[in-house]
Amino acid sequence: MNHSGAVIQLERLGKTYVVPEREAGLKAAVGSFFKRRNRQVKAVDEISFSVSAGEVVGFLGPNGAGKTTTLKMLSGLLYPSSGSASVLGFTPSRRDRDFLSQITLVMGQRQQLVWDIPALDSFELNRAVYRIPVEEFRRTRDEMVELLEMKDLVGKPVRNLSLGERMKAEIIGALLHRPKVLFLDEPTIGLDVTMQRRIRAFIAEYNQRHNATVLLTSHYMADVEALCKRVIVIHHGRLLFDGDLSRLVERFSPQKKIVVVLADTSVDLSAYGDVIHKEDDRITLRVTKADVPRVTVRLLSDLPVVDLVVEDPPVEDVIELVFSQTAEEMLP
Amino acid sequence: MRYMLDYYLTQMKTAIVVQFQYRVANYFYMIGMIAEPVIYLVVWSTVAESQGGSVGGYTAGDFAAYYIVWTLVRNMNIALTPYAWEFWIQRGQLSMELLRPVHPFHGQLAYFSGWKVVAIVMWLPIAAVLSIIFKPTLQPTLWEIAAFGVALWGGFLVRFVMLWLLGMITFWTTRVGAFFELYFTVELLFSGRLVPLSLMPVWAQHVADFLPFQWAFGFPIELLLGKLTPQQALYGLGMQAFWVLLGGLASALTWRFALRRFSAVGA
Amino acid sequence: MTLFRLMWSFFRIGAMNELQYRVNFFVQLFQSFLALFVGLVGLALVFNYTSELAGWSRPELLVVMGVFILMGGLIRTAIQPNMERLMADVQEGTLDYALTKPADAQIIVSVREVRIWQSVDILVGAVVIVVALVQLNAGLGIGQALAFAAALLMGGVMIYCFWLMITTGAFWVVRMDQIVELFQGVYQAGRWPVSVYPGWLRLLLTFLVPVAFAVTVPSTALVGRLNLQTLLFTAVLTIALLLVSRWVWKTGLRNYSGASA
Repeated sequence: MNHSGAVIQLERLGKTYVVPEREAGLKAAVGSFFKRRNRQVKAVDEISFSVSAGEVVGFLGPNGAGKTTTLKMLSGLLYPSSGSASVLGFTPSRRDRDFLSQITLVMGQRQQLVWDIPALDSFELNRAVYRIPVEEFRRTRDEMVELLEMKDLVGKPVRNLSLGERMKAEIIGALLHRPKVLFLDEPTIGLDVTMQRRIRAFIAEYNQRHNATVLLTSHYMADVEALCKRVIVIHHGRLLFDGDLSRLVERFSPQKKIVVVLADTSVDLSAYGDVIHKEDDRITLRVTKADVPRVTVRLLSDLPVVDLVVEDPPVEDVIELVFSQTAEEMLP
Repeated sequence: MRYMLDYYLTQMKTAIVVQFQYRVANYFYMIGMIAEPVIYLVVWSTVAESQGGSVGGYTAGDFAAYYIVWTLVRNMNIALTPYAWEFWIQRGQLSMELLRPVHPFHGQLAYFSGWKVVAIVMWLPIAAVLSIIFKPTLQPTLWEIAAFGVALWGGFLVRFVMLWLLGMITFWTTRVGAFFELYFTVELLFSGRLVPLSLMPVWAQHVADFLPFQWAFGFPIELLLGKLTPQQALYGLGMQAFWVLLGGLASALTWRFALRRFSAVGA
Repeated sequence: MTLFRLMWSFFRIGAMNELQYRVNFFVQLFQSFLALFVGLVGLALVFNYTSELAGWSRPELLVVMGVFILMGGLIRTAIQPNMERLMADVQEGTLDYALTKPADAQIIVSVREVRIWQSVDILVGAVVIVVALVQLNAGLGIGQALAFAAALLMGGVMIYCFWLMITTGAFWVVRMDQIVELFQGVYQAGRWPVSVYPGWLRLLLTFLVPVAFAVTVPSTALVGRLNLQTLLFTAVLTIALLLVSRWVWKTGLRNYSGASA
């Protein structure tokens, strides 16, 4: 069943790893030479979702949740153990040349560029690999170098670039063949804030210009908040949530914070809710969502309120909360 | 097809640039490598002298020629070591290569080919020095030189393909050191690397005929030394092609299973 | 004496550490046998065509091979690991740990590492020597045995001094990895007695890289060809090398710690 317009589609996709078990001792070591004892690890457990063209989807989950494994299955690096996946109409694990020429996988901690030569020369290699017509290649390359302000840097050997500059060069290299689908695995890891923003802007721009579909994993909420309207949450290999980021907060966080500034600092607010922070005249209360309207009204009518703000908990806290619970607790 | 050519040339260019940067390290390695043939050379020349000038059809001058050409062939022989696979896999570099719409085999072959160009250029002064010291007798005819040029690259291809095939074992087990060492020992003995094959006992020569090793090593050397008739040379080139095809086929078949295995235990 | 106490301590720790990896023992054994096999094949091939090489008979050459293997084992067990670690320490700046210990720095960096599984070669070499001596039908007099032991010890010390001086070069020319490979290549020349090699090469193998003293001289002791002069000369040279290498080491160390001359 294919939702028309779906660029990426997963149907109960699963991946189980076979992990060899090793014991200490000579006999075991010799024994393991001939026959391995194995353990099964379910990295991805029957995930289904579909993504339409031009969407930018955030893929969230703690380490070991199955995000990277899913991305690898979608890019053809791993064979699924069960279920099916389809990207741009291709079965990724077949690794058709036409498929590979339209996708790209960027992993924050690994590099594709050749270390000892200028990035420009690595770009030439990509041109040859992806069979990009020379004119088009030059245009795309110059456009991206301009956008990321790398003009003076692409002529230097990659090993002489700073981490951020290297990442920018990597991204250019990864997009030279104008892929329609981008799999980005922690693209801004280890970079400073300015660089992160630069790269985020670039990805957003690319997505706009070419209507490319982007699947992005990140530890930095700022990445997700800036780029993705839709997020998919994975934990223990299972899909926990698929929808708008704002709904995620709404659904999983049953509490909000009220920050009150009072003219009279000696008042005790514990009757209104949990006082979680008190600093000079600012008091922070934690209140269940349902109680927010009632408590707010009471505060405003009972006390000399100078300022009152109702805040959502930071998304990080919500995510942390989500991950700290087991999958069973989370599903309705 | 022309895309493939374009890719190969670009990759070779990259290899040349990078390896040229590392020329000092490359030189050190090459110089360290000549210790082995020089020792063989000296020993066998001594034996030849003590036996009235020649041994097994080789004079001292012949031995000098054999072992000096040996250094060139040895350089051409160096291919992706089977140990590199483990390294590749652990570093996650294999995954990176698999993402490209070109088989990693081509990437590696092209890179090494570029490297060989640098190696050949760097070898020339070393050969000159060795020739001055050891005075080899070498007078190849024109066709022998031409055939040698082909056989040199043919030998590289044979060894590259065989080592590629061998390296895939690392997908199934990591305790491969002992196995590789065994392979290299057999290769050392039956390739013409230790001694010219015609000096080995006859039964060993028969065994060597069934193995691919001599076509990567002894054959090109003997060709340039003028020890082969045109028919034998042609036969040798044919054998090189045969082993490249056989190795290539086996590699292509094994690759599928290797990828599945790679996928099963994690990338 | 501090030297021996330190050596024993480090040896114990190193040995305990490596004994955990018992599989390495079998791997090493296998590799040693492969190397021995190749060596024997080489010898057999040569003697297919001649009955003596530069005045050495077949069993005598077998003795040489045994000493070569034995000395190789000694080098790879005790000398090479320390020198490689020294090189790495200089490159990565972790030498300071060795320098701040209350013992002579040279001793520490020279005895702290040991690769115990390489000592398999010491055993293999010894076995080959015994077999060769039996073939020679030669008895081994006390004098000869002592001369052999002395020559072996001095040869080992000379190789150590050579390595130390080269490695100290790392203080100035940080990247020295290729030197290791270079040495291993040149050391292979020790398979055959140095009298086989042409004059200039012989000089190189005696005075540049002391392979002759490491392998040939002890071998001559075993086959009864060693004269007292050579032995005394070796002793003098050993002492001289010890002094020179110590001086080089101290200079390098001063340079490293930035102290003025």
